[in-house]
Amino acid sequence: MVKKDLSITFLGVKFPNPFCLSSSPVGNCYDMCKKAYEVGWGGVVFKTIGPKSYFIDEVSPRFDKLNKENTPFVGFKNMEQIAEHTLEENLRDLRKLKEEFPDKVLIASIMGNDEETWEDLARKVTECGADMIEMNLSCPQMTSHAMGSDVGTNPELCKKYCQAVKRGSKLPMMAKMTPNVTDMVPVAKACLEGGADGIAAINTIKSICNIDLDKKVGLPIVDGKSAISGYSGKAVKPVALRFIQQMRQTEGLENLEISGIGGIETWEDAAEFILVGSKTLQVTTAIMQYGYRVVEDMKNGLMHYMEEQGVDHLEDLVGLANKNIIPAENLNRDYIVRPDIDLDKCIKCGRCYISCYDGGHQAIEWNAEKREPSCNTDKCVGCLLCGHVCPVGAIKPGKITIKEGRKCKASDIKL
Amino acid sequence: MDSKYVKEDMGFDSLTVTEEASRCLLCHDAPCSKACPAGTNPDKFIRSVRFRNFKGAAETIRMNNALGAVCARVCPTEKYCQKGCSRSGIDRPIDIGRIQRFVTDFEEAAKMDIFEKKPANGKSVGIVGSGPSALQAAATLTMLGYAVEVYEKEKELGGMLRLIPEYRLPNHIVDKEIERIEKFGVKFHTGVEVGHKMPLEELKAKHDAVLLAPGYSYGKMLPMFDGNDKVVKAVDFLKEVKAKAGKVSVPNNVLVVGGGDVAMDVVSTLKLLGAENVTDVVYEEFKEFRASKKELEGAQKLGVTIMDGYVPVKVEGNKVSFEHRVIKAKVEVEADLIILAVGQIPVVAGLGIDLVRGEVDEGRPYVTKDPKVWVCGDIAHSAYDKTVVGGVRTGKEVAFYIDAAIGGK
Repeated sequence: MVKKDLSITFLGVKFPNPFCLSSSPVGNCYDMCKKAYEVGWGGVVFKTIGPKSYFIDEVSPRFDKLNKENTPFVGFKNMEQIAEHTLEENLRDLRKLKEEFPDKVLIASIMGNDEETWEDLARKVTECGADMIEMNLSCPQMTSHAMGSDVGTNPELCKKYCQAVKRGSKLPMMAKMTPNVTDMVPVAKACLEGGADGIAAINTIKSICNIDLDKKVGLPIVDGKSAISGYSGKAVKPVALRFIQQMRQTEGLENLEISGIGGIETWEDAAEFILVGSKTLQVTTAIMQYGYRVVEDMKNGLMHYMEEQGVDHLEDLVGLANKNIIPAENLNRDYIVRPDIDLDKCIKCGRCYISCYDGGHQAIEWNAEKREPSCNTDKCVGCLLCGHVCPVGAIKPGKITIKEGRKCKASDIKL
Repeated sequence: MDSKYVKEDMGFDSLTVTEEASRCLLCHDAPCSKACPAGTNPDKFIRSVRFRNFKGAAETIRMNNALGAVCARVCPTEKYCQKGCSRSGIDRPIDIGRIQRFVTDFEEAAKMDIFEKKPANGKSVGIVGSGPSALQAAATLTMLGYAVEVYEKEKELGGMLRLIPEYRLPNHIVDKEIERIEKFGVKFHTGVEVGHKMPLEELKAKHDAVLLAPGYSYGKMLPMFDGNDKVVKAVDFLKEVKAKAGKVSVPNNVLVVGGGDVAMDVVSTLKLLGAENVTDVVYEEFKEFRASKKELEGAQKLGVTIMDGYVPVKVEGNKVSFEHRVIKAKVEVEADLIILAVGQIPVVAGLGIDLVRGEVDEGRPYVTKDPKVWVCGDIAHSAYDKTVVGGVRTGKEVAFYIDAAIGGK
């Protein structure tokens, strides 16, 4: 049995493990959060609490999903806004959770609609015993343009609201970013200037998941119509990793403390977010599909990964990949690595041939009689598409060739 | 009555068919598509399923095979399309038959009308028989612009398709296939015995060509069993059980002689109808078995006792003695019912053709001595097994040969 310490300190708060519910339908009330804590989640970001004046009125139905072949939930679309319970109910739940689970981390997510409400909410959740505040500046399906991602794309407004929250509370605070921007850095910087201690990224991506082909309307259908709303799940992981990396590679933000969010469902996803600089991890979609129990394999798998890596403190893994992700113009372009086809493993399906011809450089040749592929090195540019389509992993990077006139040595190249 | 006889096994639904199609490697120059006697391209219709185009998949199957829904169920796929499947290099071949079954069921549910024909060429062909080869020939000739009439001696259309047990091939599937062909324009006549009440000459006078597809429809009798009141021929048994939808009572001890696909249908049917002890004695040894592996395995799973390599040497009432062909061994089996599944023969009296080893072979495919008369199906000399899909192949081919000869292009 593997046993590793998964605890980590984020914004000065010690988490028993980095796995948290994100502020969403999965942490909507006391009972849900209690169950999540008991199953083993290290922290909960309680579903965003809004100002008393803002009436939450949800649609039905409110979800949709993207499938590919036999895989459902490749991506998930959600129309739900912030917590629909009354402010009093939410505050009562926060208080009760902190009392019963003093060793678990309780994060209050809040969303105001002006400086006053932000400050007031910050004060109220602090009084309830929350360990940390997350500012929701990024929900893409709010029915008010004074709230949600419309705010999160405006650096000035974000800064102002961060200052308001800081006036209301001395708790560590992270600002949750919207990915519905080309560059997250200006907003993140503005939040930090406004007093944010860290960043949570990313919230959901504005989307239309599917169109009903008969009714000619997006899904889900609400009385014959639909609306754009947030997209999450495995499909958004690459986008989330990219935003986190871009913040961490910005001068002055190299040590930015980040809570990573976006399609995490396995320990491998979790490790990837940690390696690009996340200290804690937030999960919703995987829970909506599979339940709180997903944390068991995330935790255990992460411990095994630490064991394999010879790491005793999770902290030691944070950001290890940052320095290895560099601008495309700085990559070594002096060599070509061509495929090595293992004919013992090859099952003679010819997929490499098809993809190389139709999507590559017509370098894989096909012996129709033997049903065997081979690589014509005169034509091969070393893109290795063939390796990606091979269903049995019979094609690996093979011989390295240095381009003519380049000084680089093949033996120095790290594949 | 035992409902197991009428219950077809589970097919795919839209989820499981997508899963199965996702297992397909979508090979280049796919081996499956080179192995179908009917010329179906599984690689094309599986790709359609994979990319959510069920209707396109149905078109690929149906334009090629008028009995697509039948073949999906009864084809010995392990000998053909699934044999070279590249997926076997990982685990097991794609279940092509079952995907085809899903697609043809979808076609039926969507009430698709796929067949297309060329403009009428003013010529007509009369087809004798309505088994698989005749049905396919009728469909293909109609596509080519011919007016086609089918003459069946039985009251029911379908020939040998009406013998295949319900759990493998439900009657309503056969009915639908025939309905589709009828709707396409083929005229069917039942209860017409060509060569007897209706002379062949009459048909020749009426049509520009006559195609004979009588099939191997009569069960063979072995002389030592002749006249024994415990003995029934396999085809007669299967036909009766199917006609009565399994509402047939069978005794507890049954002896079956024979080891082909028909024998496997008989022994499995007996088990499904509740016969306790079914003993199948087979001339061939397992290594040379003629039955499809799938059907043999099915029979073994049902608990049929199969003794391979034995020849019957003596019959006394309900007692049959066998001797092994290779080793020194004797067996005596006593049974309440004896079913002979030792092959079928064609009956072609009045059709003006000569058979050599059950086939017409005039050196060129599908012709007879009479230039106006053609043959297909079991009695045609062909490289394929005498299976449904083999019949489909000959039916399709003969249609093109007839068209080349009389199409007048």
